[in-house]
Amino acid sequence: MCGTCGCSDTANAVKITDLSTGATQTVREGSILNASRAEQDHHAHDEEHHHHEGDDQPHRHGPGGEIISLETAILQKNDQIAERNRGWFEGRGVLALNLVSSPGAGKTTLLEATIKALENDIKISVIEGDQMTTNDAERIRDAGANAVQINTGAGCHLEADMISDAVKTLDPVAGSVLFIENVGNLVCPAMFDLGERMKIAIISTTEGEDKPLKYPHMFRASELVIINKMDLAPHVDFDEKACLENIKSVNPNADILLLSAKSKDGIDQWLSYLKNQLSS
Amino acid sequence: MHELGLTKNIIAIITEHAKGCRVKRVSLSVGPQACVETRALEFCFDIVAAGTVAENATLEILPASGDTFLIKEFETEEAA
Ligand SMILES: Nc1nc2c(ncn2[C@@H]2O[C@H](COP(=O)(O)OP(=O)(O)OP(=O)(O)O)[C@@H](O)[C@H]2O)c(=O)[nH]1
Ligand SMILES: [Mg+2]
Repeated sequence: MCGTCGCSDTANAVKITDLSTGATQTVREGSILNASRAEQDHHAHDEEHHHHEGDDQPHRHGPGGEIISLETAILQKNDQIAERNRGWFEGRGVLALNLVSSPGAGKTTLLEATIKALENDIKISVIEGDQMTTNDAERIRDAGANAVQINTGAGCHLEADMISDAVKTLDPVAGSVLFIENVGNLVCPAMFDLGERMKIAIISTTEGEDKPLKYPHMFRASELVIINKMDLAPHVDFDEKACLENIKSVNPNADILLLSAKSKDGIDQWLSYLKNQLSS
Repeated sequence: MHELGLTKNIIAIITEHAKGCRVKRVSLSVGPQACVETRALEFCFDIVAAGTVAENATLEILPASGDTFLIKEFETEEAA
């Protein structure tokens, strides 16, 4: 839980770096989940105001006090911003894809290969999420695409408001693809909608075939699963059949692509998949 | 993974709706696919609730379907 990962630490600042100018801004302190803390403290000091008259909240009287029905989604703040992002992407005709994987599965390598392969075809911009460093955004910029780096500090995933801030800087054009490379983590990013068209999970052959069973939420939340580092499959006794079965067992509807971002084997199917998504 | 942050969010929503009344019970609906560890939520709840209107409130977690993750209702103490 977050006692370990620190993602809810209020002292944790989130920073965005624009790779084209090098300018860095702090977008917020701490998780969006704590955004109403000030409000909360305010109310806590407000104890004289007990009156509920004219209140439109459904409530009934319990044995002692009142029972108030809320049916409020706990992630509603993130989800509302995500919906706004989604509307903006659709309105502008930008295909937003949220790439999730464990650290080192090859997200950035696949993006570099994709940017180079499509440089004359499709405009690509990238939001990079990492706890620290601008290394990945620099790699993306060097591969030829616009990039913004979000540093989440102790945070272990991207949240929707970070994307809406980053998009203001990137300003992706109509008909382009916006890749969001989430923080390397197979757990937390599954919960947070960013407004993307879909999540794409990447698993690499060196991680073991049972990752989908160990982290089912992430694979269930993804429409496409890419199995990367196929060039290493023979060296690590990768059991392809078992891996495919495991993915299908947690998400029978997932599309699956096998490739190597390094040797570029299988990359053509990925590029056609992308083009299909862009035109649909 | 996010139980502390989620609990802070729960307390913030409750505090907003309680309008200063003391809260004695909070009921959540949590589905099996909500990606939430309910024991960790319980663990965080007392700590986060301390010093708020929900201090010493009991946390009730009701099973629900799919990825449901809601504050279903809460109960206040009798107004003084
Ligand atoms: N052999 C092989 N190595 C790969 C492949 N794809 C990525 N790698 C290597 O795997 C390492 C990690 O790749 P990255 O692209 O940085 O992984 P990532 O998922 O972006 O990592 P984080 O952003 O840190 O989570 C690098 O050393 C890559 O060169 C592949 O298809 N085959
Ligand atoms: Mg990376």
